[in-house]
Amino acid sequence: MLVLRRRAGESFLIGDEIEVEVLALTQHGAKIGIRAPKETIVLRKELKITQYQNSQAASTPSIKDLEQVIKKLRP
Amino acid sequence: MRSIETKYFGTLPCSEDSVFDFPQGLPAFEEEKNFVLIEPPEGEPPEAAPLVFLQSMARASLCFAALPILVVDGGYELGIAPEDLEDLGLEVGRQPALGSEVMVLALLTVNDEFGVTANLMAPIVLNLRTRRGLQAIRRDSRYFHEHPVAARAVHEKTREDPC
Repeated sequence: MLVLRRRAGESFLIGDEIEVEVLALTQHGAKIGIRAPKETIVLRKELKITQYQNSQAASTPSIKDLEQVIKKLRP
Repeated sequence: MRSIETKYFGTLPCSEDSVFDFPQGLPAFEEEKNFVLIEPPEGEPPEAAPLVFLQSMARASLCFAALPILVVDGGYELGIAPEDLEDLGLEVGRQPALGSEVMVLALLTVNDEFGVTANLMAPIVLNLRTRRGLQAIRRDSRYFHEHPVAARAVHEKTREDPC
């Protein structure tokens, strides 16, 4: 992974069309601004993972399979 | 009493107080705004049948299996982001009380590779007072989205169970 050190107000480029700027740094986190073409999808990674995980959870095959395993949780 | 079509239990009567509004839906299912919480029958201690279900009201084929978060991890500590607390109509600045203010559920996935896993990174939080719910994605990396719940189902089945 490429690691850059940037201060608030500084930015960097990804390719020719995407600019990422560090707007502010606080103790709660970094505030990031992104300039990118409209068609570029910008998504928090946790959200992407959650979308995928929810799709998997929704297609969980058989409730019998699940119950089999849940039984093991019972005291 | 109205009734709903469910994925696993046919047509079920559905009381108003088992319906939760999800104004934002769930990630990947943004259009599903109402879910019914299907819990174990009355009188059965929750630890004897911990599995609960979140059934979409609009789509019978959409039903999530879930476990109360403390069943998966007895030491689980809530980490609901301020924006999510606000959307839920909860006090911002402190985490709500499990059981009295909110019910928190981990969605389950069955996977050939990992067996049954629970999503501890993005639990479902239900405000018991306002009947409003959302999936509260943690901002920290303290908990895993594929937390193992049990050994692989395939292996479990091959063992004889005296119960």
